[in-house]
Amino acid sequence: MLQKLYSSRFTPERNYQIAKWTFFVIALLLIAFAYVDVGTISIGSNNYNLSLIRLNKAIAYTIAILGLQVVIGYTGQIALGQSFFFGTGAYISAWLIADHSWPFLLTLLIVIPSCFLIGMILGLPALRIRGLYLALLTFGLAAVFPSIVKLDKLYGYTGGAGGKLTSNYKFIAPSWLPFDEVAQALQKIPLLGDFFGDGPLSTREESRLWKFILFSLLAGLCFWLVHNLIRSRPGRAMRAIRDNETSAAVSGVNLALTKTLSFGVASALGGIGGAIYVAEIGIASPDDFSSLVAIYLIVGLVVGGVGTLPGAVIGGLIYALVPDWASSTQSISFVPERWLQGPTGSLILGVLLIVLTLFLPGGIVMGWRKFKNKLLGKELSTAR
Amino acid sequence: MDLFLQRVFDAITNGSTYALIAVAMVLIFKATTLINFAQGEQAILGAFAVLQLWYWGIPMWGAVIIGMLFSAVLAAGLERVFIRKFDPADHLPLVIITLGLFLVINAIAAIVWRFDPQSFPQLFPSGNAFTYNNVRLTWYSIFAFGSCVLVLVVFQTLLTKTKIGLAFRAVSSNLESSRLSGIKIGPTLQFGWALAAAAGTLGASIYAANPVLQIEPSMMLRALIFSVSAAALGGLDSLWGALIGGLTIGFVQSVVVQYIPFIPNEMSLSAAVVVLLIVLTLRPSGVLGTKAVERV
Amino acid sequence: MTTPLLRVERLEARYGPVRVLHGIALNVYEKEIVVVLGANGAGKTTVLRSISGMVETSGLIEIGGESIKKLNPSEIVRRGVAHVPQGRGTFPELTVEENLKVGAFIRNDKDINNDIETCYESYPVLYERKTQAAGSLSGGEQQMLAVSRALMSRPKLLLMDEPSLGLAPQIVEDLFARFVTMNQNQGTTMLIVEQNAQLALDIAGRAYVLESGEITLEGQAEELAKDDAIRRAYLGA
Repeated sequence: MLQKLYSSRFTPERNYQIAKWTFFVIALLLIAFAYVDVGTISIGSNNYNLSLIRLNKAIAYTIAILGLQVVIGYTGQIALGQSFFFGTGAYISAWLIADHSWPFLLTLLIVIPSCFLIGMILGLPALRIRGLYLALLTFGLAAVFPSIVKLDKLYGYTGGAGGKLTSNYKFIAPSWLPFDEVAQALQKIPLLGDFFGDGPLSTREESRLWKFILFSLLAGLCFWLVHNLIRSRPGRAMRAIRDNETSAAVSGVNLALTKTLSFGVASALGGIGGAIYVAEIGIASPDDFSSLVAIYLIVGLVVGGVGTLPGAVIGGLIYALVPDWASSTQSISFVPERWLQGPTGSLILGVLLIVLTLFLPGGIVMGWRKFKNKLLGKELSTAR
Repeated sequence: MDLFLQRVFDAITNGSTYALIAVAMVLIFKATTLINFAQGEQAILGAFAVLQLWYWGIPMWGAVIIGMLFSAVLAAGLERVFIRKFDPADHLPLVIITLGLFLVINAIAAIVWRFDPQSFPQLFPSGNAFTYNNVRLTWYSIFAFGSCVLVLVVFQTLLTKTKIGLAFRAVSSNLESSRLSGIKIGPTLQFGWALAAAAGTLGASIYAANPVLQIEPSMMLRALIFSVSAAALGGLDSLWGALIGGLTIGFVQSVVVQYIPFIPNEMSLSAAVVVLLIVLTLRPSGVLGTKAVERV
Repeated sequence: MTTPLLRVERLEARYGPVRVLHGIALNVYEKEIVVVLGANGAGKTTVLRSISGMVETSGLIEIGGESIKKLNPSEIVRRGVAHVPQGRGTFPELTVEENLKVGAFIRNDKDINNDIETCYESYPVLYERKTQAAGSLSGGEQQMLAVSRALMSRPKLLLMDEPSLGLAPQIVEDLFARFVTMNQNQGTTMLIVEQNAQLALDIAGRAYVLESGEITLEGQAEELAKDDAIRRAYLGA
């Protein structure tokens, strides 16, 4: 790996990669400063909010969907119960923050190993249960999570039906970060400066910005780790199981170990996502982790693209934005009001799920790659 | 003792309705080894259609029959458009499609009929058939159980005595030989989907007609979990297993959970999932199901 | 010369990127028993599956002078082709009688029950077990049931995929003797693919040898049985 990096240090390919990622990070920061206060896009009489709150939620979903990529996309096990681990991570983190005044990052040290372990243990039956049966069981798991946290016996830990507030913990940006300076510099840009608000940032805005940067870094770390995992030996074993379980087994892949590892990693990622979710909205409440959430995460997985890493980002964004924007849509001409007031977001996500499975099985990412290859192919042929 | 008896009666009531949804899942599983996650939503949509027809002045049982026909036709259409093009051996796309149908049907039901619970008309005579001290056996319980048995008898007859029923069973037994015997696979499975949806709609209508319940779009989600456990317990490919599974789950829900002190009341759903876990781990073919023979 | 009942020309078939048949030609005339010999993986099964419409093919396949290439399996059955697939072509969960009824699925006439009776007369074992699940029969009995099931559609042409597979030698002999009787009494035309060359050549009129998706030899069965290459490759001589 190192050898490869070294030898390709000065190739155009590597320069392209560096430029791409630098551009990506700058774009992310610009978005962060632009939407630190709620930004509103108006189409017709409808207002759509784009704010860091939504983006932070999107990051939480993205990491949970990344977990689904590992277990469904790369290992081929139909595990539908990601909301269970999303919820478990959320509640563990909330409990540590609210009752033990732990800082957020420190809670991850408990969330990650415990979700990993629970995922591995719950994954054990999956060594015997395959395919549809596993789908059934994991869906059942997702369905029972809210009733478990509502148990009277667990009231002290979970806060019952009312949920667990974590607003005692404030995200305070380290003082050495030059948020104000950057904001004011951006505001001075001619023409575009208006996008970046006015004057220095308030404490709330700074805290929001800090959360976004922190969560983005966490997400980046998760992506880097998963990226390396699927290219490593256990990752190859996972893909072998996905493509053909029997031949993987006869080629010496340890099915039990690989599958439980995959479940563990997926659950740990689900847990991290849940912890971020709670850190963003400030409360863990039972109905935020219902089986509907499990299905929405699957929507994110499929719409982004099963078995692709960037697909998780697209999936997270879609999950965070589509239902929200659907409920902000108050009127569209020719569409009866009734159809905009109900669970329109759910309807759109369901339609997306079906349409993509029927017509674009690789999701948006694969569709984009195909499109790009087509373009590049054409360019090549004209150049010749 | 009285309390116990009362709970057994409750178990029969709940169990029968779970069994009806479970039968629907079993029919589809039998032929295609597919679990239709949208089964419960299709059923509740059918029950809402029944309610709508009744509002329009159609007599109750007429509405139920038209509602069953409606959902059968709808299911046949869904099978043709969304299911048939996929390879039945590749489970992931099919699971995803049925999850998509789940979301869409659930949303449409909620948009058209709103989330507010509405009372569902009585399907059966009200009052008690039998009272003893504090124990009451309602007519509703008797009729719910009776309808379940009746549906099973009708399906059993349909599957064993008619040509399409024979074709359906042939397809579930040996796909390749069915094709080589001139059976058209697609329409045969479509028939299964239609039959399943009709059973589901009847099940959801009976469930909603329970005097202590009201109909609302998400009421089937819980029932779906109970029904899935019932179906798995009975063996996913056995019709009568669905009834036995349904009654057992009903029994676990209203008797076992009530009598074991350390299991709190709200845990009945979890109990159903635990039953599912145990069955799938220890005996995936269920109690009455046929053991799958792996041919090489 | 009369038109053959089955005419296959330039038949090519592929599974995904792998081509398994490379332009095969074979004919089966009415009332004939024709055998296709070949080792494992030579493409024997694919030949039959192509005729039944179960795989994508290119080339020409005709039944009685009419192309059946564009038809799907259920329509090909209705043109008079019955196919006993490899292994057990039965429905294990259905009773013996139901198996036979499924065989007659494409028919609507009144003679179905008569045909079932006729079948029971020739195979009393099946009559004794008519209400039992087919899966409970022995291997030989299941193969008989599979053949009977195929005959219930009153086919013009019966395709059989390795009927001897997994059966004890005595049972195979009995089974093949019945094929001869069927052919002589009812005039059933058969195309059998086999690895068991000895018995197959005994009962066949003509034979083809299939190697790696190509026909390498064809001729009268008696002559092929004397051919040195065949004797070495398939008869263990």
